[in-house]
Amino acid sequence: MNSPQQDEERRTFREEASSLWLITLGPALWAVHFTVVYAATAVVCAKLGTAYLPYLRLGIAALTLIAVGAIAVIAWRSWRQWNYMTNQEYSHGQPTGEHRHEFLGHAAFLLAVLAAIATLYTALPAVFIAGCG
Amino acid sequence: MRAAVVAALLPWLSACSAPSYLGEFTEGVTALFDLGDVMRPAGREAEQIAQLAWVLFIGAAILWLLVMALFVYITKQNPRPLSRRWAEALIIGGGGIFPVIVLGILLVWTLPLMPAQRMPGDGLTIRVTGKQWWWKVEYLDANGDEANTVVSANEIRLPKGRRTEIVLAADRVIHSFWIPALAGKTDMIPGQTTRMALEPTKTGTFRGVCAEFCGESHALMAFDAVVLEEPAFKAWLAAEREPADAPRTAAERRGAEVFLTQGCGACHAVRGTPAQAQIGPDLTHFGSRLTLGAGSFDNRSAERQSWVAHAAAMKPGARMPAYASLSDEDLAALDRYLEGLK
Repeated sequence: MNSPQQDEERRTFREEASSLWLITLGPALWAVHFTVVYAATAVVCAKLGTAYLPYLRLGIAALTLIAVGAIAVIAWRSWRQWNYMTNQEYSHGQPTGEHRHEFLGHAAFLLAVLAAIATLYTALPAVFIAGCG
Repeated sequence: MRAAVVAALLPWLSACSAPSYLGEFTEGVTALFDLGDVMRPAGREAEQIAQLAWVLFIGAAILWLLVMALFVYITKQNPRPLSRRWAEALIIGGGGIFPVIVLGILLVWTLPLMPAQRMPGDGLTIRVTGKQWWWKVEYLDANGDEANTVVSANEIRLPKGRRTEIVLAADRVIHSFWIPALAGKTDMIPGQTTRMALEPTKTGTFRGVCAEFCGESHALMAFDAVVLEEPAFKAWLAAEREPADAPRTAAERRGAEVFLTQGCGACHAVRGTPAQAQIGPDLTHFGSRLTLGAGSFDNRSAERQSWVAHAAAMKPGARMPAYASLSDEDLAALDRYLEGLK
């Protein structure tokens, strides 16, 4: 049995459970994109050879579009949650539900921007490097 | 201001030939601070590396000056709180958007340089094997006939204006092959073959070094890279392919005898004589080499005699035994013989 205090906390933070998904999803998408791009390039170069590079590049381009698109959706949703346009609030120091909510949106937004830049930088070598050597 | 910086950098980033006053500036700085071979390129790859270094250095200097000027302005000239709008623009623009754009431009500019640094050669192939602590150098036959390989050591000759393929191997430990004036370095790894290509744009003699710590005489593992015009190179390679000249004088004949009776041929080869071993450097045309002991000493009489008498004292760990028991006459005769191996 949970104590009444634990139940109280559970109720208070339940509404932020989805925010925690939002905050992790941007960097997670970057990490998955990074791993897949590097692993696919290594496998294609080691096992198939340069003849298959055009397909690899197309694949990386498609994967990058999907990843950046998904990160953009996350960025948009966290931007809305931050609610900056309404109250121009940068600091969320109060122990209130609203401040927690906006803080998580703010952090998720910044992480999503970072993840989008990192994802694009990860894909750049595939565009500019011609061979496997 | 941001646009001005980007506009100022763009010609640098795109232009392969910077305006001449910039060339004069970079040459002046290189001479003034004695920046060395890396900033005095004589090869295609090294030119790219030097240009990249200059753009980064000058770009960083400009940015640093701008940031310092901004500090002085904000703290001394006009010390008042910024409006929220300006502060946000400064932090998000200067701290986020501007660096992302600059790094993006640099990334897009530098990524194509990486494959350019590794383009294959178009003519001659040279196989270089790193040993402790010297370089076995083999000029491979154009038709892949191993019997026609020209074996040399501790000196690499290259034709100017041609892209020579360099195939790299190592004997017992990792070495790294680096001629700073010509290109970046490439590791030599036991059990693996690595490769690079050298495309010299100037004739001259350039220093090459081992750039990966490989044991006690790592610092004495160097070589000369001699870049010749193509006809001169072809003539040199044809001469290098020939067996050693027969001794001409009495002293040289005595030296050749000492060479064989002392067992030098157990490790060294002098083509055209019974000495055919490949344990130490090939000495067939040793007399024409510029340096001794893998780019470590002048190839002169005093150094040669000292080397034969006690090599390991000059180069710690060298596997060549000391021939301190040789009489002065025999040593001098051997020296005459080695000098005559042109």
